[in-house]
Amino acid sequence: MPEIFQRASPLADIAIQGRFGADHGAPGVTLSVRHPALIVTVIARKGKAKTLAEALKNWRGATVQWAGAEQYFVLDRPFDEVRKKLDGLASCSDQSHGRVIIRIEGPKVRQVLCKGTPVDLHESEFEIGKSVLTQMAHVGVHLTRVERDAFELSVFRGFSESFWEWLTEQAEEFGYQVI
Amino acid sequence: MLVKCPHCGTRPVEEFTFNGDASVQRPASNDPKSMDQWFDYVYLRDNPKGRFDEYAHHSSGCRAWLVVTRDTQSHEIFNVVTARDYAKKRVAP
Ligand SMILES: [Zn+2]
Repeated sequence: MPEIFQRASPLADIAIQGRFGADHGAPGVTLSVRHPALIVTVIARKGKAKTLAEALKNWRGATVQWAGAEQYFVLDRPFDEVRKKLDGLASCSDQSHGRVIIRIEGPKVRQVLCKGTPVDLHESEFEIGKSVLTQMAHVGVHLTRVERDAFELSVFRGFSESFWEWLTEQAEEFGYQVI
Repeated sequence: MLVKCPHCGTRPVEEFTFNGDASVQRPASNDPKSMDQWFDYVYLRDNPKGRFDEYAHHSSGCRAWLVVTRDTQSHEIFNVVTARDYAKKRVAP
């Protein structure tokens, strides 16, 4: 089937590449937008939570993130593949167009994010691969630690512009770059 | 004020939306004779001083419905369970 619609990132004209904020030394954080992204919401059918959790384990090529009780985000796999694989176990819905994933990394990442969330981001409490749902600047955020000093923030598309504004403001004091 | 969500851990109360008395039970019958029970269920609420079971939606978190048991006077929180577990326990006490 021909691809009729081209997905445009809502941050295409907002997340301008460059170096911003405090301009001494290395940038405190580096921001980037993951676009395009494949994002599928997966919610367990009644009584299938355990079987679903098993099915999601060791799925090559997919990134599975906790997203609430008996709910997950499956990233990096096309919607049809996810739906077929989880047939009967879960309800799936394509969110690729509905959410924006912002990656933030660097030595000051924790200092930037902790201005917005009460969640304890210390490594001893928040290990690599862990996801939480929380609120930053009144915006619902799905937050995942992908590396020791790197997080991914997934927000609804319609909030992404104001969220980006808030996030970059918090990063200004440390200096940040957008790549 | 902190609420310990069974799914997310301890979170500030701002992340939750409260939605009233969890102890009321929907009448099983649609018989017009049960109108009084329906009136109670829809409109009448106690205003207890002390222990109170209250629906809470973790709206800015995992989006699960919970039941928070707190003291309406001191706001001390005794217990937080999922609304699912609360309902199950009520059916089979
Ligand atoms: Zn929660």
